[in-house]
Amino acid sequence: MQCGWSLLGPLQWLRYINREVKVRAGNDEEHRGWLLTVDPVSASVVLVNFRKGGASVQVVMGHAVEEVEVLKEADDETAERLRTTFLPQRTLSLDPVELRRRRGAICKWLQKNRIPVEEAGEELRVAGVLIIMAPYRPEDCCSSNQIILGRIQRLIQIRPETDPDPDPPRD
Amino acid sequence: MATPMSVLRLPKGPDPNSRGFDPKSPRYIALCRPSVSTSAASGADAEELQKEQDARTVLRESFLRCLLSMTSKKVQFHMHEKVKVEATFGASDIDVLNFQVSDLHTPIGVQKEALIRCQDVISFTFDT
Repeated sequence: MQCGWSLLGPLQWLRYINREVKVRAGNDEEHRGWLLTVDPVSASVVLVNFRKGGASVQVVMGHAVEEVEVLKEADDETAERLRTTFLPQRTLSLDPVELRRRRGAICKWLQKNRIPVEEAGEELRVAGVLIIMAPYRPEDCCSSNQIILGRIQRLIQIRPETDPDPDPPRD
Repeated sequence: MATPMSVLRLPKGPDPNSRGFDPKSPRYIALCRPSVSTSAASGADAEELQKEQDARTVLRESFLRCLLSMTSKKVQFHMHEKVKVEATFGASDIDVLNFQVSDLHTPIGVQKEALIRCQDVISFTFDT
């Protein structure tokens, strides 16, 4: 029952991205949509169909895929829409003065909590392993260290919005 | 059909980390697929392997973002024998072997928390 789909490999799967495909699956199911990605771990196919005000996403599990037929290629506009389907919505860009104020406030807060942090242009570099980008919310933290990421995110989350008193919070 | 039902415990598949399981037994292979398949042919060519790894990264990141956008949303699962169930998606494990869901509406009642085996799922759908 296993067709070759799961065995194709990442290089082959990559070639199906941004194509409109028809997927035949077990259970006599047939799905049609723009192929967004194929999970390299489970060979599951993610299909997107754009609707008014959003999109409908269908994921066909790798083990159930029987056949994938390419129908057509996406034009630039559709490809861009696909690329941004799951990207977190960027907030409206704040003006530079506000950004600088926020950056300074977050920097001070981290320093108050004895976290080594330095401003590097528009970013904040924390302990050499984590970067905070504008607008310096918990979700703007990037790090490959899970533990540090969690701690810094939590710290930013509990930062008091109003002018904090000089004492840092007790652990 | 919103009567909550008592907890149903279905037999759990073999745990890949416990001792005593023969990795070559058919049950193990069926339920605990090796998580990552690599192309054996390109094993000798380092550049090819690097290209494959880059492709894997792009594909996986996209898929993870898809899973991320699904959290706390209502998802409809199409299972075997044309069974359709709806639930609120919670999380997936790293090998995409199990999905954790809440408020699973089954033909025999609503399960507050449940683990769905991905082997039982043909496809699932949700709206962004």
